[in-house]
Amino acid sequence: MSEPILTVNHLVKTFGKNEVLKDIDFSVRPGDVTSIIGSSGSGKSTLLRCINLLETPTSGQILYHGDDITKKGFSVSGYRAKVGMVFQSFNLFNNMTALDNCVIGQKKVLRRGQSEAKEKALFYLDKVGMAPYINAKPKQLSGGQKQRVAIARALAMEPEILLFDEPTSALDPQMVGDVLEVMSALAKEGLTMLIVTHEMAFARDVSSEIVFMKDGVIWEQGAPEQIMERPEREETKDFLARFTNR
Amino acid sequence: MSEFLSGVATCWDIYGTSYLWGAYRTLVISFVGTVIGCVIGFIVGIIQTIPVAKNDSVFKKAVLKVIRVILRVYVEVFRGTPMIVQAVFIYFGMRMVFDISMSMWVAAFFIVSINTGAYMAETVRGGILSIDSGQTEGAKAIGMTHVQTMLHVILPQAFRNIIPQIGNNFIINIKDTSVLSVISITDLFFVHKSVVGALYLYFQSASIVMAIYLTMTLTASFLLRRLERKLDGDDSFDLATTDTLTHTSGLTNYHVPTKREV
Repeated sequence: MSEPILTVNHLVKTFGKNEVLKDIDFSVRPGDVTSIIGSSGSGKSTLLRCINLLETPTSGQILYHGDDITKKGFSVSGYRAKVGMVFQSFNLFNNMTALDNCVIGQKKVLRRGQSEAKEKALFYLDKVGMAPYINAKPKQLSGGQKQRVAIARALAMEPEILLFDEPTSALDPQMVGDVLEVMSALAKEGLTMLIVTHEMAFARDVSSEIVFMKDGVIWEQGAPEQIMERPEREETKDFLARFTNR
Repeated sequence: MSEFLSGVATCWDIYGTSYLWGAYRTLVISFVGTVIGCVIGFIVGIIQTIPVAKNDSVFKKAVLKVIRVILRVYVEVFRGTPMIVQAVFIYFGMRMVFDISMSMWVAAFFIVSINTGAYMAETVRGGILSIDSGQTEGAKAIGMTHVQTMLHVILPQAFRNIIPQIGNNFIINIKDTSVLSVISITDLFFVHKSVVGALYLYFQSASIVMAIYLTMTLTASFLLRRLERKLDGDDSFDLATTDTLTHTSGLTNYHVPTKREV
């Protein structure tokens, strides 16, 4: 097996007295599509935000190709450029067009020239089906369109791994389909992805690995068929039952 | 009534150009004061919102803390005292303590700028805080530094949001520069006092000055609205076609027969 891109060792995150993540261990290898499932408040998003250093871990290690990302002197900016993130609320830059949203990071962080950056931005915007809307500002786009631009923005940085934090939770059912379609296509192409989601069918179809979290602890992880059909822990069964009984 | 009108006419006939010069000085002082004040406000506001992380060096934390305390004092002192008192305090203080005699323009620009800066600092800080934290996270997530994020994402949006407040300050300055006549700055109000001293036509001269002030402030707010609309850009956008064989509009050649042909 190839070397992991990310390894999380004994990760703990507390907010005040509230322990949100308790001793998390897992790793992501190139080509993995890992989905993290679990009910709200289980610490899924916090885990993702720790990996992107939007939250500072309280203790434990996150290794990126063996380097501890929380160490002093570690280049956070360069690391974030390699580890993309797609948010639940899109977080597109409201003062820029769809195209500029995808160009700015390449120019400022990767120091690419305008023409190269624009070319790549157009390529990825086309890939997510947003090529006709390059001149639109975020306020002129629907939620699903915004999320697809946000995915193109992350892809334009050509990251090694892409983190998705509930990318479809703020969308209406019809738009959810558009975004999931884009994500499935990316998974098929072999992009390494770490996805926090409530879309069980999607997680089952695209993932190579599923992680179930509850109360800041990973209870069970494994192949989709195993977790979804033959869960071992009672907690996993309870959680899945609530989804299938609807 | 005719007595009033003839009084107005008298004031205007003799001192018309003086009123206009006074109005011109008022405008220049308010405009320059607002612009420099905005620059001060942006600098102070930006420094006040620099984030401090837990693992930053002690040196950085200490320097930032000291600068912030100084800026805080500046804001509170100049926001908390009347401009008329500041004018007298600074103008005569410079003379007595430092033996510096400020010219009319220097004194006027200095006092108005530093006063506006104190107000703008809080406005800019509020403008920056008003931008959704998602914008910062979006920028951080693609690796942008704090400076890049501020420059390209936060400040352009914050600036748009605080234009109404900048306009407010400009209009306040147009009116409040009248207090500078206390240190003999020959603005519009100073002209009024001089005219009244010569002609004793209090109400008539005041009417002229009221009209000029109102004209200036209304024009200012009109122009600022225009600027806002321009910055907001179009409500619509062009669909871009990547396929060069298709055209979005304007090229359909459908021949409509004219009456004669039919």
